[in-house]
Order: sequence, then structure tokens, then C-alpha cells
Amino acid sequence: MALPQLFEFHVRPRILYGPRSVREIGFEANKLGGTRAFIVTDKMLRQVGLAQRVADGLAGSGVTLVGIFDDVPPNSEVKVVEAGAAYAREAGCDLLIALGGGSVMDTAKGMNVLLSEGGSLLDYEGAGLLTRPLKPFIAIPTTAGTGSEVTIAAVIRDEAQGLKLEFNSPFMMPDVAILDPELTLSLPPGLTAATGMDALTHAIETLVSTGTQPLSDALAIGAIKLIAANLRQAVQHGDDLEARGAMLLASNMAGIAFSNAMLGIVHAMAHPCGGRYGVPHGVANSILLPYGMAYNLPTCAPRLAEVAAALGVETRGLDDETAALAGIAAVRQLAADCGLPARLSEVGVPHEGLAQLAADSQGDAMMMTNPNPAGEEDVLALYERAF
Amino acid sequence: MPVFKDAEQLYDCIGGVLDYLRTDETVSVAFRKSGLVIRFKYSDPDSEITLDGSQDPITLTCGPCDRAPTVDMTMSADTAHQFWLGKVNLVAALTRGAMKAKGPIPAIMKLLPVITPAYKKYPDILREKGLDNLINV
Repeated sequence: MALPQLFEFHVRPRILYGPRSVREIGFEANKLGGTRAFIVTDKMLRQVGLAQRVADGLAGSGVTLVGIFDDVPPNSEVKVVEAGAAYAREAGCDLLIALGGGSVMDTAKGMNVLLSEGGSLLDYEGAGLLTRPLKPFIAIPTTAGTGSEVTIAAVIRDEAQGLKLEFNSPFMMPDVAILDPELTLSLPPGLTAATGMDALTHAIETLVSTGTQPLSDALAIGAIKLIAANLRQAVQHGDDLEARGAMLLASNMAGIAFSNAMLGIVHAMAHPCGGRYGVPHGVANSILLPYGMAYNLPTCAPRLAEVAAALGVETRGLDDETAALAGIAAVRQLAADCGLPARLSEVGVPHEGLAQLAADSQGDAMMMTNPNPAGEEDVLALYERAF
Repeated sequence: MPVFKDAEQLYDCIGGVLDYLRTDETVSVAFRKSGLVIRFKYSDPDSEITLDGSQDPITLTCGPCDRAPTVDMTMSADTAHQFWLGKVNLVAALTRGAMKAKGPIPAIMKLLPVITPAYKKYPDILREKGLDNLINV
């Protein structure tokens, strides 16, 4: 394969992996120069004691915990970010710790912008508007799917406008990501399955993206292998620390990969399903992934054959197209084995809403890097098939 | 050395392609539907162009404009030139900081498929103005 003429690969943040690695938080916070740490999380994670484990890790490090903001909802909002930033500012925080899934991470990213630069969050809607590093920021994911701990973006809903706003800047990335699989043990099977399929979608879409390059390819292939070997086990035996660790790493690897190579039609179609009908992101991706792969097959069969091999499909002796089709079948089987729905009609999307979803998908940045260009009619046909 | 010798030349060339888009039937319908007011702010040479899709007909202003923009796109004039030659990936440019966008990114992305035909028109505009030498810069 020809190498791209020019590509860039971000490798921030520093990553620390290991069971009980959350105990290192004090050392890491100290190293970043923090003295007054502030935790951003949600009520559930606080109730099950995970925030306390972070607090325990800070003890004796010389870094004081000055506050915990646990009002983050499943889909964060501008007013939540602004309330959290006000609280953290009042507490005199000089280092942020995000403990949670994608919504918590995105909230903390937005809070860090306001704490460091001031103003209103809406002032920063867009891309490339930040010009200097923000306050030190440590991310501790408690789900294995979004990869938010290694991405430059935050998506936050503005209730006033009824819109999801995008904020993009390399300066929003955390400085350190701590991957402690023990913190994911309490994740229920349904959420484990959906977030795992989200990570798989990141990896597969990275490989076929027009922005792909060798560094992201390697991470994406590695992530697919880990997911194929561990997602079923993590869903069916949630106490398996090895499987949980493998999924946490796979999510992280896929996150780095897609953050550098971008995504494609599956995400462009999944985002409106979440925005209009509240379909959980991982579930929407899981349903739409086989259809997106099939749509892209004519333009990238060799790549999808690589995906099939990474999924564990025996591809020796098969031509690329046959191998790719076997890979699509393997993705469907994995989702089914994990108990995920296979149709949009099962998750509250009404048939009469499909045309609007197709129109919405055309404004999604991820469509830009899909290998097979897709207009509104193409996307509508795919939604129909997935319905 | 910058591609454009001064703001007037930029208004002639980049303004020319934006004016083509403003009057193209497909693009103007999509742009009017978006209701966006996009201000392009360029450096080297310092200049700005505002495309106002909030009114019918769409207006194009080269130079300072009183309309408050919904989207501010900031970039060097050289980047703009490369973009209209079809040599810049918008997503990569935004990620790498070669372009900055303040405002609703999805609304801008939605317009991209309709403006890409202008990639073919831009070299023609340069040729018409006797600026063939800029096509391969």
C-alpha cells in the first residue's frame, strides 16, 4: 500500500495501565505540578466508591483534594459544564481529574477550558480555537469504549439551542490517562457490550478511513484482535480482570487510532440516532456497523479482509471480497453473542424518522473521511436496511 | 512568499470563486437553507470576505462587513488558495490548526459536498484573470 504524502500522529497523553494503577494518581498529579485536585464524576461512580479510591490515591502525595463534582448526566450539557467549572474555580482547583465514561470526560474537558481561559463555553465552539496548554488534567476511564481519554474532542449539548455542540483542540487532551481495569468491573453487561462495540467500530472505521496511516492502522488492528478475543468474556463474566483489562486497552488503542485517522459512515449515521431518538451511541454503532462495512466493501475489500483476519476469521484461500463478507458476518455474530439489538426498529427509531436521520448525517464531519462517498439517498437506503 | 500580492488580488481570486458559489443554483439553495453568515478572515495579506446566506439573494462582501457572523473561518490566504485548488482536507486542516472555525462545525461540514464542484472552477477563474502561474503554487 502506498504511504500517505503527509500525516500527523498525536501521541498525547501519557498512559499508565494496570490493576490498582489508580493508586498512582497522587504521584502523577504531583508530577504534573498540581497541588489542589478536583474530581469530575457522576453520582453512581461516587456511590459505588470509585471516587473514594481516587481520593485515597491522592492521600499523602502532597496534592489536596479540594472538591468533587458528581452532577454529570449521561449526556452532558453546557449548563453542567459551566456549573462544574464555577464550583472548581471556587474551590481553587489547579488540576482536574475526570473519573467516568465519555460524558464525564467531555464535561471535564469543557470545564478545563473555562477554568484555564475563562469566558463562556459557547465562545469555544468550533475547532482550533485554543492556543496554549490548559490546566493539568488526568483522565481515568470507567468504561471501555469511547476512548475519550485520548481524543481531542468534546461533544456537549446546549439545551437552550437544542443542539449538540462540538469542541475540538489538541489542548483539550488529558496529560495522563490511567487505565485501571478494576474500575470497570462494576460495568453491567449491556453497557459493557455497547461500549465494546463502540470501540470495535472505532477500530474498523479507522482502518478504512481515507485519513488512515500506518501508525493508526497498527493500533486499530491490535484493538480488533483484543476485542474479538475478550468482549464476549467481559460481557458474560464481568469479573474477569484479564478480559476487562484487554477491553480497556482496546478502547484506548482504538481511541488513539481514530483520533488520528478519523472515522466514517457508521459514526455519521449513529450520531443522529442518538441526537434525535436517544439511542445509546454504542448500540447505534453496533447496529449500523455491518451495514456501513457492506456499503464500503466495493472500495476497500482488502482492508475489510484484514479486519476479518483480525476478528479471527479463517481467511486463508479466500479472495478479499469473500473474506470481507465473512468479517461482516463475524461482527454481526459478536454483537448477537453480546445480547445487543440488531435493528433500529428495536431501539425506538420510528420509520418515519429515517429521512430526517439521513439528512442529519450529511452534516457529520465523519462523513468526510468515509472511503465510499455517500449522499442522502445512499444513507437513507442503509437506514432502511438496518430498520 | 505569499501567493497573493495584496488584498485586492485575493478579493479578485478567492472572492471570485465565492461569487461563483453564491450564484450557482445548487449551492445557493443549500446555503440559503443553512442561513449561515460565514466570515472568512485571512492573513498574508490581511483581508476578510463575508458570505451572508441569511438573506435572499445571498450577499458577498469583500472587506469589513457589519453583519455578525454565525461562523468565523480563520486561515492564511495561502491555505485558502490551496483549499480551493482541492489540495486541503478540511478536517485535517482544522485538526492541525491550519484553519480555525468558530461556530457550528456540522453546519459547515454539511455545505462541503455542495461546494466541492468549485474546486474545478477555481483554476478557470485564475486563468481568466491571467494568473495561471498561481495554479501550481
